[in-house]
Amino acid sequence: MKTQEFDVIIIGGGITGAGTQRDCAMRGLRTLLIERSDIATGATGRNHGLLHSGARYAVNDPESAVECIRENQILRQIAAHCIDETDGLFITLPEDDLGYQKTFVEACQRAGISAEIIDPALARRLEPSVNPALIGAVRVPDGSVDPFRLCAANMLDAKMHGGQVRLHSEVVGLIREGDTIRGVRTRNRHTGEIEEYYAPVTVNACGIWGQHIADLAGVPISMFPAKGALLIFAHRVSNMVINRCRKPANADILVPGDTVCVIGTTSTRIPFEECDHVAVTPDEVTLLITEGAKLSPALSSTRILRAYAGVRPLVSTDDDPTGRNISRGIVCLDHEQRDGCKGFITITGGKLMTYRLMAEIATDLVCQKLNVDKPCETAITPLPGSEDKSYEAVAQKIWERPSTAQKAAASRMGTGVIRIQSENRQDDALICECEEVSAGEIKYAIDMMEASTLTDLRRRTRVGMGTCQGEFCACRAAGLLAKAHDCVEKERADLADFLQERWKGNFPIGWGDTLREAEYTQWVYKHVLGL
Amino acid sequence: MKFDTVIIGGGLAGLVAGISLQKAGRHVAIISTGQNALHFFSGSFESMEEPPQRMASLFEEAGIRIHYQNGVRLMPLGTFRPAALSLEDISLFPSPQFARSVLIVSISGYHDFFTQFLIDGLERQGISCRLQFLDMPETRALQQGPGEMRSVQIARTMDRIWEKVIQEIRSMLKDEDIVILPQVFGLQDISVPGRIRQGIPARIVFAGTMPPSVPGIRTQMLLKRRFEVLGGTYLMGDEALEAHLHDGVVHSIVTRNLDSHYLEADHFILASGGFFSKGLKSNPFQVSEPIFGLDVQYAEDRNTWYDPTFKADQPYMEYGVKTDTALHGLLQGEPLKNLFVIGSILGATHPEFGTAAGLAVRSAFHAVDQILQTTPEAE
Repeated sequence: MKTQEFDVIIIGGGITGAGTQRDCAMRGLRTLLIERSDIATGATGRNHGLLHSGARYAVNDPESAVECIRENQILRQIAAHCIDETDGLFITLPEDDLGYQKTFVEACQRAGISAEIIDPALARRLEPSVNPALIGAVRVPDGSVDPFRLCAANMLDAKMHGGQVRLHSEVVGLIREGDTIRGVRTRNRHTGEIEEYYAPVTVNACGIWGQHIADLAGVPISMFPAKGALLIFAHRVSNMVINRCRKPANADILVPGDTVCVIGTTSTRIPFEECDHVAVTPDEVTLLITEGAKLSPALSSTRILRAYAGVRPLVSTDDDPTGRNISRGIVCLDHEQRDGCKGFITITGGKLMTYRLMAEIATDLVCQKLNVDKPCETAITPLPGSEDKSYEAVAQKIWERPSTAQKAAASRMGTGVIRIQSENRQDDALICECEEVSAGEIKYAIDMMEASTLTDLRRRTRVGMGTCQGEFCACRAAGLLAKAHDCVEKERADLADFLQERWKGNFPIGWGDTLREAEYTQWVYKHVLGL
Repeated sequence: MKFDTVIIGGGLAGLVAGISLQKAGRHVAIISTGQNALHFFSGSFESMEEPPQRMASLFEEAGIRIHYQNGVRLMPLGTFRPAALSLEDISLFPSPQFARSVLIVSISGYHDFFTQFLIDGLERQGISCRLQFLDMPETRALQQGPGEMRSVQIARTMDRIWEKVIQEIRSMLKDEDIVILPQVFGLQDISVPGRIRQGIPARIVFAGTMPPSVPGIRTQMLLKRRFEVLGGTYLMGDEALEAHLHDGVVHSIVTRNLDSHYLEADHFILASGGFFSKGLKSNPFQVSEPIFGLDVQYAEDRNTWYDPTFKADQPYMEYGVKTDTALHGLLQGEPLKNLFVIGSILGATHPEFGTAAGLAVRSAFHAVDQILQTTPEAE
């Protein structure tokens, strides 16, 4: 059995874990990140991808609103390549109370969020897809953020600072000595191999699954799993984020991102056991379409690409059955103080927007335990891909090899695009035509970004996220993976898993063009290619 | 415009029906939106074994070579599937252990021919494999466009440079029994696959690529050409929009391009395909047939349309237009007397005709026989 020692072990490859590893690594600690499947597989990759201005929380949760606008400004600087600065509208429809607008704008101002009341006619000009019946509009600095890209960039930077990453490794036990957690025992999900890692501090950053890790440590945490369902539309219907200017409710946020847009969400309390198998129900689909069309009527005639759901990692504070009115606040638990369990920290609650702050809080506590006195620099140090100093090199690189794939890759990777191999024309060959992903970009994700399956590749490169939902690119990318890993048998199974995973998000909305595409894919893979 | 028969859909079913009727002296028009299921044809006529004589002669007269042998075929992802009646491009073997050693030749930079999967599948059968790549100025030229390395583009080039390709492959060949090549030969020049076979001193096996299928497109092209040589009218790129009915009889069809010039006929054949071809339409509440509004066999509860397992047989694929035993389409339970419904728009409503390509051919002949029993009305 392999064993290895570190200064800190972080469990959970979501944005909180990746951000915490980056912060720890930047402060000079020897770090290990452990994730049971892939980066961004939990709530990180299953939300709107909204770069909150904080306006949504301004009235009910001013503390979160202040955190959001502060982090919003920071992320625009350090993660520019993950962010689309779209701005957002909070619209009032005829059935809404226009009086709420005043309350809303005042609350935004108190939180330091710029909120400008604009004429509905101007709103229609700024965002032609907005419901033309609107009677009020407020402009706020919302935007969109690609959570996969953000998570990958944090992991990449941690690695560049010496951090180690074990994906597809599940924590099966904590190594305990008396009242102290000394490390973790993991099982590799691909090889079955058991490994032990030791560190004076272990950070539990597993989102909703943190309850399970806390159980392993014997400390009680009571999580509050609240499912949120969302729909992805096949076009970028709107160019701005559109919200309803009223108390937060179901399906009242439309967010454009890359080539698509996302409507959501719902909020349903689910039993903890269901967290691993959340599915979108027909009722949720109907609700999302009906409410979504009120924000932007074009949605009712736009093809839906997928339905998906995530689970919010909220820590129970009261018995609110919807999970919407409790604070999205950050929870950082020092289990030594709270439960007498040494060397163990839980960081949870919060949201995608505040991941950096959560990482900072957790890392401060880790450093305090290790007697390390180094300041946090994540708020002022750009992530790999957003270092503006090499824009010239990027421009030159793209100019040298004028291909659509290069440009698409540059928008995904920012300055990181210069790391993509483009030595010959074969590297420029398009693997995914919908999202314009080149063979070189896929190879980079396999070699440098720990992608070992097609689904991993999708999170890093958008391969298979487009309108064909992987029917063409999956096979091509599988060929590259089979070659990289020199294992066809595993890749055949991986291809089947990938198609199954795509179908899971397609059948809840299986009608119209989605059903046409599905019929084609199912026919091709079964009868033509012989999977 | 008046025809004896108007056929909606220019895929396998529509063309087989059109050729048969035209050959029998009827005056036929086919309305085709362009692409159809032949463009992703597997090359095997699923659910058919020995071809009926009329099918064999129809294909032969069109210049399409088919063959029949109960056996297995090599699939593009390296698996083997039972197959019988197939295009000549598809090699049929008595068993998967069909060779001792093979040379697989792909094209440098081509990602749509799955050589690793083929090697894995063949090695499992104890067949030793050697992989080589064609890297010629003409294939390198294709790589200049990042999306150009696709089957149809490569096939266009191969139609020009097949002689050089033969020389290249001959120089690669050592002592292998068999050479496996991607199906990128003979798109427009149909003699190319035969010339490749003659020019290389080993058995040639063409293995499938990611669609579009070159043999499928060639089959479609040859059937269409045969139909037109017989005097048929193929309205390429047009689309049937609606039908004019009177007393349970179809009178005429409105198309997008012909505007107010309705297509009138004694008989109509609906061969517009399944969901992908838009023969069947769906929304969250129902499955429908868009041109005539025919009755469709489907489940009311959308939750039962799908199996959550991707690879399982999907219930929605069985849905199809309702007909009587003569294949007359039903409209609110009543048959339209001069409308026949054929091909994959039938779904699994007529298991006796088989599935996929078999269903297309058998149901086409069934409709043709009934139309030919009537005498064409004098104009």
